[in-house]
Order: sequence, then structure tokens, then C-alpha cells
Amino acid sequence: MLSPRERGRYMRQLELLDDEGQERLKAAHIFIGGAGGLGSPVAIYLAAAGIGTITIVDRDMVDQTNLNRQILHVDRDIGRDKTASAEEHLRAINPDITVRAINATIRRENAADLVGSANGIVDAMDNFGTRYLLNDIALAHRIPFFHGAVHGFYGQATTIIPDTTACLRCIVPAAPPKETTQVIGATAGVIGSLQATEVIKYLTGRGRLLANRLVLWDGMQAKADEIVVERNPDCPACGDRSPHKRRHT
Amino acid sequence: MTIKVRFFAQFRELFGTDILTDAPPDGMFISLIAGIAHSNPEGYNAIFDKNGAFLEFVILMKNGKRIDNSDAAATTVADDDDIAVFPPVAGG
Repeated sequence: MLSPRERGRYMRQLELLDDEGQERLKAAHIFIGGAGGLGSPVAIYLAAAGIGTITIVDRDMVDQTNLNRQILHVDRDIGRDKTASAEEHLRAINPDITVRAINATIRRENAADLVGSANGIVDAMDNFGTRYLLNDIALAHRIPFFHGAVHGFYGQATTIIPDTTACLRCIVPAAPPKETTQVIGATAGVIGSLQATEVIKYLTGRGRLLANRLVLWDGMQAKADEIVVERNPDCPACGDRSPHKRRHT
Repeated sequence: MTIKVRFFAQFRELFGTDILTDAPPDGMFISLIAGIAHSNPEGYNAIFDKNGAFLEFVILMKNGKRIDNSDAAATTVADDDDIAVFPPVAGG
């Protein structure tokens, strides 16, 4: 049941989502891996939309060089844990939700515990090693996985529904080399907003998800292309001979 | 000029947007992309390794279907094919 206060807060989206949709957001628990360029807009929009519980995990402290894009953090946060400033910022945006900000490195040993009972995993990481790990956790626990990545003016996003769509390894079988990427903050804003929109659509059962579709955003051309993707039967993460398949069949 | 090759992300900066071209004489996918890439040494090195094989992370698509990089050397192209080549972006 929505309180009068919540009814006021969400008035301008209640006609889009109905009470039932808003209640679903309130009951949801979303895990966000990373409180950086992508994690910032994702967390801000999901907090503002009324996602009941947000777990956000990061291991870094705020650095001055983060501030062109990581809009959860501000100048006075330099030197603080990103999780501390993220929690403070998200609570200020919406005090009616629960924010669990965890200062940790996401590793194979702790990933499942960190994700816990989340209804969705948002990929806001900056490396494919951890992305593949979260992809594995999503597959193992059949949790939707909202992928996003950015570079410069470019970005990509897709929504992975375990056992239904291509997984991240089907789409990106090999990680590109690690690099310190240049990123325009607004590019992370575009892709993070796409990811947050997908989460809200998934939770409320609205619209057409980015399932088996990889959006490629080109900010230089102001153009979005769509690549149709499909499951790879030989995928090491979700294919017919993968540990995931053997576990679930 | 019957095959469309689309580059995305950083590859678009190196090679431009949609390229319309003929099939290469040997009709092979890898020859098609190498032929375009040779126009730009920096671009070539972003797509191919020193042995002339596709770098493993480069994503190759033909008519909406992924081509496994290990199959690329044996993949042919034909009139009206729609080819996409792009690197996954990795930042967050």
C-alpha cells in the first residue's frame, strides 16, 4: 500500500506504472555493481523511481578524476569511499527507500552473497572480468542482468534474461584489452538511463525489453543502432555444455 | 557496390560509417574487411593481429548473425550482405 507521501512523490509516474507497478518497484531489490560512471545515473534514477532496496557495491575512493562523469559524488567527497558518498546521495534523493552500500571488491568468492536476494543485477562495472562474473551469478540464480558499457562518446546496452536470451558471453565472448578509457559523462548518462529504464520495464512488466538486442549508441553521430544477438549453443557460460546448463537440466 | 559494411564505436572513427563495396575477388569475409582496413594502418591494427587474423574480442556479424572469430577465415560474403564489425566497449 502506497503512503500519501509516496503517492505524492511518485505522482508523475503513477499513471504510467499504476499502483501495482509502483508497488512492484517498492518491493524490488536491485543490485548495482559499481558506483562509477554508469552506477551513478542508474542508482540515481532507480532511487528516484522508488526501487525499495538498492544494493550498490564499489571498492574505490572518490578521486578528482572521477567527477566528470560519476555524478553520485561531488567535490567534497574526494578521498571518501564511493559507497559512503553514494549512500548519502541516494538517501538524500529518496529517504523512503533502503540503500545498502557495500565497500567491497566483487570476487567469485563473495559475488553470490553480495547479490543476495536481488531481483535484478545492473552491470555498472568498468572491466569485463567482473562483468563475466556477474553474468555467471545471474545465470546461476536466474536473475536478469542489465548490461551497459561506455567508451568516449560510445556505449552499448542489452538486457539478459537467463535461459531465455543470449548471455553476456554469447554477445562478447572475449574481453577487450583493459584500458583507462576516456568517457564523456553524458555518455554514461545515456547508457545508465537505458539500463534504469530496462529495470523499471522488467519489474513492472511494461514495454519491450532489450532482450537479444544490443543497442550501440554513437553520441558523435547522435545515432543508436541495434544489433540482433542470439544464444550461442557453444557458449562457455550458458551453452548446452556449460556448468550452468548441467546444473539446471 | 553491393555489400554494406558497418563499423561501430571506435572503428567508426577509423573507417567511417556505412561503406558500400563489392565482394573481394576471393569472396571471403576476412579479405573484405582486410581490404577496407588496409586503408588505415591504425585501424588495421585495431582489428587484426600480426598474423592477419581477427583480434579475438572484435565482434563480427553477417546479416544479423554473429560469426565466430575462429570461423571468420572460412566465411564467404555475397551480394546484398550486411556486415557489422565493432569492438565491445568496456568502460563504466
